[in-house]
Amino acid sequence: MTETERETVIRTDRLTKHYSGGRGCHEISLTVGSGEAFGFLGPNGAGKSTFVKSLVGLIFPTSGTGTLFGAPIGSLEARRQIGYLPELYRYQEWLTGEEVLWLHAKLCKLDKSYARKRIDSLLMDVGIGKRGRDRVKQYSKGMQQRLGLACALLNDPKLLFLDEPTSAMDPIGRYEVRGMLQQLRGAGKTIFLNSHLLEDVEMICDRVALLNNGRILTQGSVRDVLLEKSRWTLRVGGMLPEDLEELIETTALPITCPDPNPDAAGAVWIEVEAAEEEQLGWLNTLIMERGLTLYEVQRMKNRLDEWFMQTLSGLDQRGERE
Amino acid sequence: MSTIIMMTWKEMLRKRVVLLTLIMTLIFLLAFWFVARTIGMEFTNGNFEPGSMEELLNEFMQGAVSLVVGFFFASFVIAFLAIFSSVSVIAGEAEQGVMQAMIPRPVTRQHFYLGRWIGFVSLGVGYALFLYLAILGVTEYHSGVPGNWWSLTKAFLLFASVVPLLVSLAMLGSCYMSAMGNGVLMTMLFGAGWLGGMLNKITSAGAFGKAGETLHMIAGLLDMVMPADALQRRMLAEMFSLQDMMPFIDLAKADSLGPFAIASVPSVTFLLYALGYLLIALLLGVRAFRKKDL
Repeated sequence: MTETERETVIRTDRLTKHYSGGRGCHEISLTVGSGEAFGFLGPNGAGKSTFVKSLVGLIFPTSGTGTLFGAPIGSLEARRQIGYLPELYRYQEWLTGEEVLWLHAKLCKLDKSYARKRIDSLLMDVGIGKRGRDRVKQYSKGMQQRLGLACALLNDPKLLFLDEPTSAMDPIGRYEVRGMLQQLRGAGKTIFLNSHLLEDVEMICDRVALLNNGRILTQGSVRDVLLEKSRWTLRVGGMLPEDLEELIETTALPITCPDPNPDAAGAVWIEVEAAEEEQLGWLNTLIMERGLTLYEVQRMKNRLDEWFMQTLSGLDQRGERE
Repeated sequence: MSTIIMMTWKEMLRKRVVLLTLIMTLIFLLAFWFVARTIGMEFTNGNFEPGSMEELLNEFMQGAVSLVVGFFFASFVIAFLAIFSSVSVIAGEAEQGVMQAMIPRPVTRQHFYLGRWIGFVSLGVGYALFLYLAILGVTEYHSGVPGNWWSLTKAFLLFASVVPLLVSLAMLGSCYMSAMGNGVLMTMLFGAGWLGGMLNKITSAGAFGKAGETLHMIAGLLDMVMPADALQRRMLAEMFSLQDMMPFIDLAKADSLGPFAIASVPSVTFLLYALGYLLIALLLGVRAFRKKDL
């Protein structure tokens, strides 16, 4: 489904929240369609959380407008349809995890029997299980983040705002949450994801926007970003300079060998930039056909990482100055 | 709003604020028991003719002294309970990040604010009622409580009115200041009101001569800045029906109740001023919270 065919869920028009010292976010205009997973990226202090807080009604914009499902941001109508996991938050330490969810169920005016089932199932889904009966003050940061996720999903929202949802989790937790988000995306939920974990964004999101110093630098589909060329390194045994020349000539790929001195196993590292994975597969075949030994193949960087770094390269970032 | 009110009650129970307050109250009541008993024994030593005016006044003074001492302490307890329960409710919870998950829920900010306000006030007033009845009970056992049901009811309403007054002000301050800053400010404000009350007692006793007039004016201004102590003075005046008792005994004089003399009883106009003060603090707090970035 194209963006124009989707119902618009989030729409902002030059939304600005100005803080002293030029902080905040400035003139952000974007639209997110129904069922879309949108990644909001940027370095520390770029203004990502400020923008999300404006959308969920925690802070009031200095200028510009925004709507969620056509209702003004911050309105009760808009807030009825969202779930939000804040970046910096704590739940009431004197409540149990289960009680926190009951509190939010009452705030959302959920039916009691529905809330009972939903709470039980969410506690299992996010991996809290029976520890839901423990006080929140006994939870680790990762557990609190799991509880936050359950809380955000409690009212079965059509739109989910997640601000760094896995920042405190261990790799297993991250993997589980990623799977959960993919399921939600499959179920047609709209997801607005703020994250520094670009691997998660790459796997979950359809579109991304990159924010720097409070302004959107660029936005586009993840697919387009991923179609750009990416760099690989290959460890090849027995390679001579004439082999490298032959491979360059045959594949027409920019292959380099930064250090031609072989290691103890007689292997050297070569680097190649390839737009398609098939090109890399062909190169591997050619290497094997020449009787060389292919020990290792690595992508030099995650491709979204690379895009992130390249786009921000040479730009001033206020987060670094502060 | 009922969800927010229930949450506030649960918070006070779980954080053991209620438990600690009740334990300290029991210790106070134990001490007060002996104070009231001693006062009762002191006053029963007089040889008065049964049914005489002297005996009636003696009984009245016996109860009055016990009650004034008891409520001197009780006014501090309910004031500090009201202040410290609500002093960090907005800024503290915003700093901790508790609000970040609550406010995006479909609840208006004024409902949230008023729910918290009702939660703190209802708990404080409930505690005030318990303490009030306990002090009356102990005094009745040892000496007898002067006054009738009507005067005691009016006195209770004035005694408990300090709770909404201080909660409104503490929550307003919490919209603008950190928990610690607001706590210091509230304590100093309450202290200023108490100082105003002390100055009133001293100047009413005729001390300081001409300078007393200036001090009396300063005391009045301090009463206006923080009406809590003035409300407590009016509470005692209502309890003892001070106006009606004036031809027989003057509790404003230092020789009647010493440092606890009930001087400069605030007028009805001042009570209306205190009510306006409370309502404005509450409305300003709601307004500030509605516009606050969290």
